Amino acid sequence: MTIRKMLLASAAIACAAMPASAFAETSAKKIALSNNYAGNSWRQAMLTSWEKVTGEAVKTGVVASADAFTTAENQATEQAAQIQNMILQGYDAIVLNAASPTALNGAVKEACDAGITVVSFDGIVTEPCAWRIAVDFKEMGRSQVEYLSNKLPDGGNLLEIRGLAGVFVDDEISAGIHEGVKQFPQFKIVGSVHGDWAQDVAQKAVAGILPSLPDIAGVVTQGGDGYGAAQAIAATDRKMPIIVMGNREDELKWWKEQKDANGYETMSVSIAPGVSTLAFWVAQQILDGKEVKKDLVVPFLRIDQDNLEANLAKTQAGGVANVEYTQEDAIKVIESAK
Amino acid sequence: MNALVLQFGKPWIWSWLAAFVVWFLTIMVTGGAGTLGLSQAALTFAAFSVIVGIGQMFVITLGPGNIDLSVPATMTLAGTVALKLMNVENGMILPGLLLAVLIGLGVGLCNYTLIKALRIPPIIATLSMSFIVQSAAIWTNRGLRIKPPSVLAEFTTTNTLGVPNVAIIAFLISILAWILLEKTIYGRWISAIGQSMPAARMAGIPVDGTRFVTYLFCAVLASISGYLLACFSGGAALNMGAEYLLMSIAVVVIGGTAVAGGDSNVPGIWGASLFMFLVVSMLNTYGLGAGIRLIMTGLIIISVIMLAGGRRGMR
Repeated sequence: MTIRKMLLASAAIACAAMPASAFAETSAKKIALSNNYAGNSWRQAMLTSWEKVTGEAVKTGVVASADAFTTAENQATEQAAQIQNMILQGYDAIVLNAASPTALNGAVKEACDAGITVVSFDGIVTEPCAWRIAVDFKEMGRSQVEYLSNKLPDGGNLLEIRGLAGVFVDDEISAGIHEGVKQFPQFKIVGSVHGDWAQDVAQKAVAGILPSLPDIAGVVTQGGDGYGAAQAIAATDRKMPIIVMGNREDELKWWKEQKDANGYETMSVSIAPGVSTLAFWVAQQILDGKEVKKDLVVPFLRIDQDNLEANLAKTQAGGVANVEYTQEDAIKVIESAK
Repeated sequence: MNALVLQFGKPWIWSWLAAFVVWFLTIMVTGGAGTLGLSQAALTFAAFSVIVGIGQMFVITLGPGNIDLSVPATMTLAGTVALKLMNVENGMILPGLLLAVLIGLGVGLCNYTLIKALRIPPIIATLSMSFIVQSAAIWTNRGLRIKPPSVLAEFTTTNTLGVPNVAIIAFLISILAWILLEKTIYGRWISAIGQSMPAARMAGIPVDGTRFVTYLFCAVLASISGYLLACFSGGAALNMGAEYLLMSIAVVVIGGTAVAGGDSNVPGIWGASLFMFLVVSMLNTYGLGAGIRLIMTGLIIISVIMLAGGRRGMR
């Protein structure tokens, strides 16, 4: 009888203690990264940052494991299957860069129902049970036109280089740019091409449309396409317009060369690939029992004329300007959203 | 007049006609102002499609089921590794090119080993090979862009007598391909294999050797194209080959080569490559949205193929 009582009592204590320990401890938690694509330098930097930061976190015992998985074909169905595997493997949280904002909702819901925390970033999902770390892509587009309006008060013709047709991010940035043009009507978009966020594709597209364009004062971009545009324009006898850059090292290097040679001025804006590490820390905070709002906003990384050299020095040759986030940064982002 | 009628019987004439019409419609917008710029840009970018297209054409000529889907990955790997080896030094240009060719030979060898030794259909063998090759490209450099040597960058982006240098290289390769296809026994062999493999075998043609060489040739051309493209665009990128998968097949088909194999031609590749670049430029110039642009591209390609196909029906 007493033994049974003791057992009951200890069970009760265990029950009472359990949630408390779960609130304070994430050292036994397993976090997985579900990534839909790895085929460009931005994604590679994202994965490298993830490895670096989570490797440290695993070593110091903040979490038990943080494995990264990438699908081969960049297909929503494939990624949904991957998420289902993660559910079966018993991960406590899934950090997700999604192939589609809606097509993964079913799999994400299943994960939520299984008690798994899902944090999406960059390529976010609309499923309400998941957290979203989004970039204000619209503002990213609008701010480019605003910058140009300061540099070119008289306005002029703009060439718009868009990203990959049909992708959410492309629509958002482009919408922001068009908003900016409405706000500063001295500018007019005279041409628009799709550069697929790749230098060689952008170079090809710009070279194709340039002969038909009037003088252009500025080029608004989405990142990964500025250097290609510069190459295409340099091949003609046109005056170099202000090309907004996207934080890639070759873009920044070209800008620096031009700055030294003829005082060329522009700015560069993109999201840091290290946003994956912010998502990791947010997931860790949620597992730690923190109240976190479902929608968080991550600031974009902007480089200007005066901090170009400093940023260029920090950027790996051939890579992307990057910031890796710490637990404190994540807590700050969470606090500011409240 | 007779000569003209004869010309219309050639399967490649349609792609040239289409390219010319699109070119004309584009310069109409500017009133002829950007004619030279547009023509030079078209020649430059067509050059890359021509080089990969020729390789793909030889493979497709081998008959039904023969296709090389590892072209984009081979381009990426060759560009990435060659630029890494050259490491911006002008003295390393030739070793870099040699390495690119070796990569092409390696990929071609693996492709045909899978096809022949393991009896995997080419479409699956080359696709799975492309995963391995693409992963190798990611692994070698993690997507970091290394600049090409200055001499090579200069060479690939400039013109000689108004003609882009890369177009001249593509032209030389085309002549070589034309001689191979039309004037050598090898060219006869691949056409014969494409028309009927059992018949070719019975005629005593070394079928396996010929197919093997063809897959090698295709992969080597892809790697040369990747090498040039990486130098032209200021560094290799992991996704730089992506659009050349569809492109390499499209230029073959639009160029009037029979998809069923056994009947191909080199001039059509040029017409089709120029057309593929110009049609995007035209739709961009007319300022159409991405959706309409893609639909139009599809419709135009279908109509060109239908025209070229109608010619076959009449024969």
